[in-house]
Amino acid sequence: MREQILSKAAIANPKTKYGDAKASTRHFLLQRLSGISNVLFLGFLIFIVTRLAGEDRAEMVEVIGNAWIGLPFAVLLVIVTLHMRNGMRDILEDYFAGRTYSLYMTLNTMWTLAIAVIGVFSILKLVFWG
Amino acid sequence: MAMSIVHRATGIANYAGSSLLVLWLAAAAWGAEPLNLVNAIYGSWLGQLVLFGYTWSLIHHMLGGLRHYVWDLIYGLEAGQREALSWANVIASVILTLLVWTIFVWVGN
Ligand code: HEM
Repeated sequence: MREQILSKAAIANPKTKYGDAKASTRHFLLQRLSGISNVLFLGFLIFIVTRLAGEDRAEMVEVIGNAWIGLPFAVLLVIVTLHMRNGMRDILEDYFAGRTYSLYMTLNTMWTLAIAVIGVFSILKLVFWG
Repeated sequence: MAMSIVHRATGIANYAGSSLLVLWLAAAAWGAEPLNLVNAIYGSWLGQLVLFGYTWSLIHHMLGGLRHYVWDLIYGLEAGQREALSWANVIASVILTLLVWTIFVWVGN
């Protein structure tokens, strides 16, 4: 995205290529599809948290360590991080441009990647190694 | 309308909330001591307050997101309908959040 001052006219004019001209439709669809998956994620989350809040490790291993719960939850969590990164991109596109935007986008990618990796490894640990 | 910024704000709150979830999962994977520490923090009154807010944020954002699918099908876009949907969202999200906490936290445990 090139350096530009955002105004209503700039956003409305397709020639300014406000946002990412090549990828915005894909971003839009990713956000809709991952949003649907997130409804399922929320179901899992409420079940897992209300079942396990304040419980000890043995209980955590019993519930999340159950592959039928842990593995789908890990997949759903990865989709959440895609939705997180993509949604934050939407916000960053609105307030920043040029190099500032790129910098924040890099931080966004690193943060969501860390969430995905730590989350998935923690769940896999509980599932396969207890 | 002011409600679109709430969808954005709850999106950001959920972004932060994911860190709380992963911290808890990582502590459980790590061992008993880190898990006890996280449980103590999340179980404190401040922790519970944050988790209550996180619950509402997730539910409100989910309903707001579902509203986007309705809009994508070009329903509910008229003046009046938008405001009605906004109010329905606020009321439903508060009721659902209270329901989750009543059933699973205040009564269930
Ligand atoms: C629970 C089910 C969820 C649904 C149905 C959902 C749906 C959506 C939809 C449709 C959008 C796009 C709105 C637009 O085009 O303006 C969106 C944006 C967003 N979502 Fe979600 N979402 C859900 C959960 C989450 C979660 C768990 C997170 C974070 C971890 C999250 C973070 C965001 C962010 C940061 C945005 C961007 C907000 C903006 O552009 O202002 N969402 N969501």
